[in-house]
Order: sequence, then structure tokens, then C-alpha cells
Amino acid sequence: MPREPHGNLSFRFGNLSFRFGSLSFERFGRVTFPWDSAAGEAIGADWLLAAIAPGGAFGRAARFRERAFRRGDEELARREIARVAHIAGTLEAGRLASVRAAIAGAPDPGALLVRAAAGGILSDVDFFELSRFLDAAEEVRQLVAGVPNEDLTGWPPPTCVVPEMGLTASAGDEELRAALAFGRTTERTFYLSDGFDPHLASARGELASAQAAYDAARSRLGERIARYAGVDRVRDGEFVLMREAVRQPLPPEVRVLREAPTYLLCEVALDDTALAALGARDAAAARVADAEEAVRGRLSRQVAASAASLARTCDELGELDLLFARAQFAQRYDCRVPTIDVGPRVEFRDARYLPLVEALARHGRPYAPVSLELEGVAVVTGPNMGGKTAALRTLGFLVACVALGLPVPAASATLPLVSAIAWIGIGARPVRDDDGDDDKLLSAFGGEVIALRRFLESDATRALVLVDEFARTTSPREGRALLVALLESLREHGVVGLAATHLTGIARAAGVPHFASGGLHGLAPHHGAPLDLAAALTRIAGAMDYRLTEVEEDAAPAADALALAEALGLSPDLIARAKSALS
Amino acid sequence: MGTSKNAGKSVVVAALAEALWRAGEPYGLCSIGRDGEAADALDAAPKPRFFLRPGAQVATAASLVPRSPALEITAVTDERSALGTIVLARVRAPGFVEIAGPPSAGALRRIAGALGADGRFVVIDGAVDRIAALRDGDDAIVVAVGAAGAPTLGHAVDDVAALVARLRLPAFDPVRPFVYVEGALTAAAAASFVRDGEQRQIVVRDPTRVAFAGRAFAEIAARLDLRCERTLRPIACTVAPLSGERAFEPLAFARAVAERTGLPVFDVYAGTAAGTLAA
Repeated sequence: MPREPHGNLSFRFGNLSFRFGSLSFERFGRVTFPWDSAAGEAIGADWLLAAIAPGGAFGRAARFRERAFRRGDEELARREIARVAHIAGTLEAGRLASVRAAIAGAPDPGALLVRAAAGGILSDVDFFELSRFLDAAEEVRQLVAGVPNEDLTGWPPPTCVVPEMGLTASAGDEELRAALAFGRTTERTFYLSDGFDPHLASARGELASAQAAYDAARSRLGERIARYAGVDRVRDGEFVLMREAVRQPLPPEVRVLREAPTYLLCEVALDDTALAALGARDAAAARVADAEEAVRGRLSRQVAASAASLARTCDELGELDLLFARAQFAQRYDCRVPTIDVGPRVEFRDARYLPLVEALARHGRPYAPVSLELEGVAVVTGPNMGGKTAALRTLGFLVACVALGLPVPAASATLPLVSAIAWIGIGARPVRDDDGDDDKLLSAFGGEVIALRRFLESDATRALVLVDEFARTTSPREGRALLVALLESLREHGVVGLAATHLTGIARAAGVPHFASGGLHGLAPHHGAPLDLAAALTRIAGAMDYRLTEVEEDAAPAADALALAEALGLSPDLIARAKSALS
Repeated sequence: MGTSKNAGKSVVVAALAEALWRAGEPYGLCSIGRDGEAADALDAAPKPRFFLRPGAQVATAASLVPRSPALEITAVTDERSALGTIVLARVRAPGFVEIAGPPSAGALRRIAGALGADGRFVVIDGAVDRIAALRDGDDAIVVAVGAAGAPTLGHAVDDVAALVARLRLPAFDPVRPFVYVEGALTAAAAASFVRDGEQRQIVVRDPTRVAFAGRAFAEIAARLDLRCERTLRPIACTVAPLSGERAFEPLAFARAVAERTGLPVFDVYAGTAAGTLAA
């Protein structure tokens, strides 16, 4: 995927970037796609983005740096789609999942890199997390090692070389990994072990001796008190002596903190020997603390020196996460590499609109793939539930796949990169996000008009325009005129467009091709028993011919709407009256 | 867990840690929550630190991991406390460690499970009024009661007796008639059962679902047959006869608690000087 330029950034965490030296911060903007929220929802782009969602922080940061492919990026898009398809075809699903799991499980070192670069001394928890990060990066390197990167044969063209895949095993990462290895145990924990510095070992040895000497001195005092009080031992902190067990004078090892009628609250009073031992212990502890902090300081400086390399590894992990998410998508949905055409031409065979495929599958219903061949603008007609809108959505979905660098769920496809994907008509939102709630003041038709006006005011050339029953809520005569005018205008703009409508004579009037779906054949009406909606939908789907074929004239008006209403359980009396009215 | 603040919980935890260390028994140490302040919000007393010896494994906030002596970091968990992410660490050299745990019962269970994954003892520094943290566990419970939490020895004994009685709610008898209360049994719901003269067993999932304590519990428990599906295991009480405001006579306090609760009672301050009191 192409990346948005972001200056000379050294590294980043989350969506913040940090430039070492000038201490400047930059917030990345939102990722932009060539569709608005309404179009995105209508064509299943939201579903698509969720299907290729990053698995963790690195992928999320990488997505912020990406933008969708647009007009002029054809060569880049071909290479990216080829790369995704190549990985999908080369790596087994388990390996893809392992790589993504390793990336998702790696801790994000961004914050600690910032602290180290700013001269801070990192903590042992930081080193533990950094070690885990380096381990994860190494695991990913191992997992992607040996994956062939040769050119694809047949497609793409011979000039297209599949880019390098995998992580750069940088010297900075390796040196840091080696430095931290002293702290790694076989259990992959982290401890500031003696191996980091001989001074650490000697200081700790002195502390252990000093602690033992103090423990022994204090123990002697405790034992004397225990003997005096006739108990096994006294506890280390405050303890109680019952007055009945106390003989005066109290031994010098006992310091009374508080007197109560029946007991004394006491603590051990250290003698000179114990105090000296305590002083020696504290001094030894201070030396250990200094030695430990010196090691942390040295390691932190090494981390700071490796920050750029580590940041690069973060970036690469993020890009791998996104790349492998796309490859998983391509694998899971058996996607194919499309031809990317620079003209306003669309051709696809047996394409699947995946959000609908999955929705139908949840109900145990099959999906009828869609095929279409289109140059410029066309009209699609057909009965309700006959797949007109699904055809629009499928086209939008496939074009969105290409914009996101994905192979497409179709047996074959030729698709363009577009400047925008617009959805006009049912489902279009008239008002931009920042326009408040003015849309509540508009009728459905008013909303459609405002949405259309805004689209036409933008750079509408080289867009994909999907029109779903535009102007259906106004008078048929004027609605028809508006739709014809719109299609003529779109054709003149050189856009790729498909308009679904129930209005007749549109294609001929606008001078554009006309596709029609096959319609219903042999749908049995619903009788008697309460309607089983799921069964009725299955019957309708079985009777519907979803194939789109180019036709010369509007199909003869069929009573498909009445047949559908009948199949969906509308009362026979009402159906009979409608048929009568129709005749 | 304690009947009140300053009931001596941390002293008991320290004593348990020391006893386990002396016995050569590896153990884990964690706590229920921590409010993120260095001192107690109510009485400004500093939060306890524990002097721990090698072999202990602790759960604490990353920000509380001591710089020295260094701990061995064994895991960074997904759980959070008021002071940040909870980490697990092993004590490699004697030193003070401050413990902080997650605020929720579920997270605490996960932390305790991770600490005890190798079969070691896990000591949880509990809290007042955090009985819910005991949910879904099979833990032994030590109840601490201190002079700080009650105006008289009698009140302190009443409080601990009511808490222990709540924790020791008996298992229900499925053969006899019962009413199962989903979720918490509130004081209002219990009072309603009392008003209706309910004779059946009132069954909650476990004692943590009884949402009233102290004297209210004692009074209602005397009138209803309160039962639970899963029992808890209070095994002992400890007494702290001293506080800033008052002091109870240690032996009398310990004996009264033992008599009322029927549990072994230990005075950690007196230790062997006062002897271990069994019921």
C-alpha cells in the first residue's frame, strides 16, 4: 500500500510520531478512503476493512500511514495485489496465522524508546518488554524466512517484481538483543543478572554477606529476648510482651513503644554490633543499587542508540501485519488477481459480495455470484429482490478491494482505480459529518438531491458512481427525467457508473447500455399456514434468476412484485384486487 | 480479609510470608487493588511494604517494581491497577516490595492463578468490604479483626463473628425446599423474606452474594435459613489488640474471638509470647 509522507520521523508510537533531536511531535491524520461513510456502508467497505483489520498496535500504526490506491497508482496497485496473492498462494494458513499472532502479541516499545531517547533510564519491566519485542521480531523473521520472493509467472507483467518481503534483521536490533541476553533466563524472564557487569556480582556478594551478618546480629538479640520472655522467638517488627511475663529490669535489647495495663508493645533495640551490621548492610545495598542503575543506564543508552532501528522494526512488523491480513483475506475467500484497467471499463465473472455471502451462509442459504461487463455507464433493471442492488454493491466491493490492494473474490475481473466511489439514491446520506443534523429537515428526495449535488461539485471524473433507485420517491415522470439527465451527465464525465431502477425507458433515453436480471420463474404462492419467512426467502431465491444480461429494450412488465407479495404471505384477497387493478 | 481498616491484615500477610520462607515453601503474594496513593486516603498512614526474601513471587504495578534490589520480571499481564499494568516478578535478593493488585475479582483470580501456576501457596492481601474478590475461588480465608475498627472489644467480636458467619454460610440441602436467589441477596430482599415468614432455605450462589454485613447480617441470619451453593473456607482469625486510639487486652480479645467464631485465633503481635490460641 502507498504510504503518506510524514517527514523525517525517527520513530513513533500509537498515532504519535516523535522526531529525535528537535523534539517535535506530529499527529497522523485519519486514514482516508475514496468513499464516504454512506457509500462505505453500502458497498461493504466497513466489512472489508474489518476483515483485513490489523491485529495489534504495529498494524494500527501502519494503517495510519497508508492511503488507498487511487488513479495513477495502477502500477503500485498491481504490484501490491500480486504480492498479496503471492503470499496467499505460498504460505499455508497456519503460518500466516502464526506470523500475525506473533506480531499481535509483541509489546509496543514506542513509549520506552521515547524515554530512552530523551535520556531516561529504563526499568527492568521495560527491558523485559523490549526483550519480548525483540524475541517476537525474531520469531517473525524465522517464520517468514525462506518464503520465496521470485517474480510471479504469467501475472503480473514481467516488469513487475514482487517486492522484498520480510523483516530487516538490523545490526541495531541484533546488538541490543545480544546485550539484553544476559538478562534472559530459560523461562524468558528478565533479571538484571550478574552477567551484565562484574561489579554487580561483587556488590551483590558483599550485600549478601552484610545481610547475613545483620540477620545474625539481630537474631542474637531476638534470641536473648525470647529466652528472657520464655518464648520460641519474637517477630521482626513490633511485638507484645505480657506484663505477667516481664521481670524488671527489661533487658537492653527491648525497646518499649507503648505500655498497656496487661502488656507492653515493644521492638528490638539494636546494640552497637547490630547497628554496625545494619550500617554495613545499608551501605552494601546502596552499592548494589548504584551498580544496578549503572547497568540500566548503559542498557538504556544502547536502546536509545538503537531506537531508529527498533522503530524501523516496528514499522516493518506493522506492514507485515497488514500485508498478511490481506493475504489471509485472499486465502480465506479464494480471491484472484484482477486486471487493473486505466479506462472506465469493468468486467467481472462470478463475483461474490462477501458481506451478503456470509449473511446468507448464516441462514444456510446459497449465494448466486454476479457477472457483469460494463464500459462507462449502464442501467440495471429487474424485479424486487432480483439482485439489482446486490450487483451495485458487488461492483463497489470489488473496486474497494482493488483500492485496498486486495485480490478480489471473483473468478476473474478487470477493474479500475477510481478517484471516488459514490452511492446515490437509497442509503445515500445528504449531509457531511460536520453539517450537524440538517438532514433531519430534508425529505428522502431532498436528501438524495443534496447528496448528488455535493458529489457533482467534487471532482466527479474517474469516479465509480452507483445509483440505487434515484428519485424513486418523487413523481415518476420527473424522477425519470432527472435520472436520465444524471446518467447523461455521468457518461459525459467519463465515470464508471451503474444505476438500478424500476423506471422504464431510462437506458434508451440516456443512451447507455441496459442490463436486466432474469426475474422470477415458477414461484409458488404462499397458502394457508403461517408464513415461515426463512422458507419463503429460500423459495424466492430458488425461483429467482439473478443473472444480469444486456438487453436491448426494457423487459416486458412482469407481475413479479405481486408474485413476491403473494409468496411473502400477503392476503390472497389483496393480491386478487391488485391483479384486477393491474389488468 | 479484615473486618475494618487497620485490622492487621498486612501484619498477618508479612507473618505468613515470613513463615513460608522459614519453612522453605515457595509462595506468591498479591493484593486486592490499591488506590494509587503512597499513603492511605483515610488515615494518611503509609501503605505497607513487605520485606521479602528470595523465592517469593509477587504481583505488583510496573511503577512499583523496586529499582533495587532488582526483581526478576516474569510476566507483564493484561491486568491493570490504579498504578498501571500489573507485572509478576520473582524476588532474587532480600528487600522491600510494595504490592498492588487489580481492583476486580476476576482479574485478581487470574493474577492469583498465574502466581500459583506451579502449585505454590499464594497469599492475597485482602481488603475491607471486598468480599466479592473471594468469588469463584477455593481459597482458605484468614479474617483479621483489630482494635482500630470497633469502639469496644464486644463490638469488635460481634463484627468478626458476623463476618465469619457470613463466610461460613452452609451448603444448601437440595432435598429440602429452597428459594434460589439469582445475583445478590440484598438487605431489602432479605427483610421481605423475614416479613413473609419464609421457612424455606434461602440459597445464594456463594457467601459473597449476601450484600449485607455486620449486625444486619446477624439479625437476618437469625431469622432466615440462609444457605449457599458454593461454600467458602474461613480457616482462622487473627487479632490486632492495639490501635492508635485504644488497646484491648490481648488474651481476652483472642479468647472471645475464638469462642464466638469457633475458629483458631492467632495474635501475630504477641506471637509465641501470647501463645497460639485454638478454639
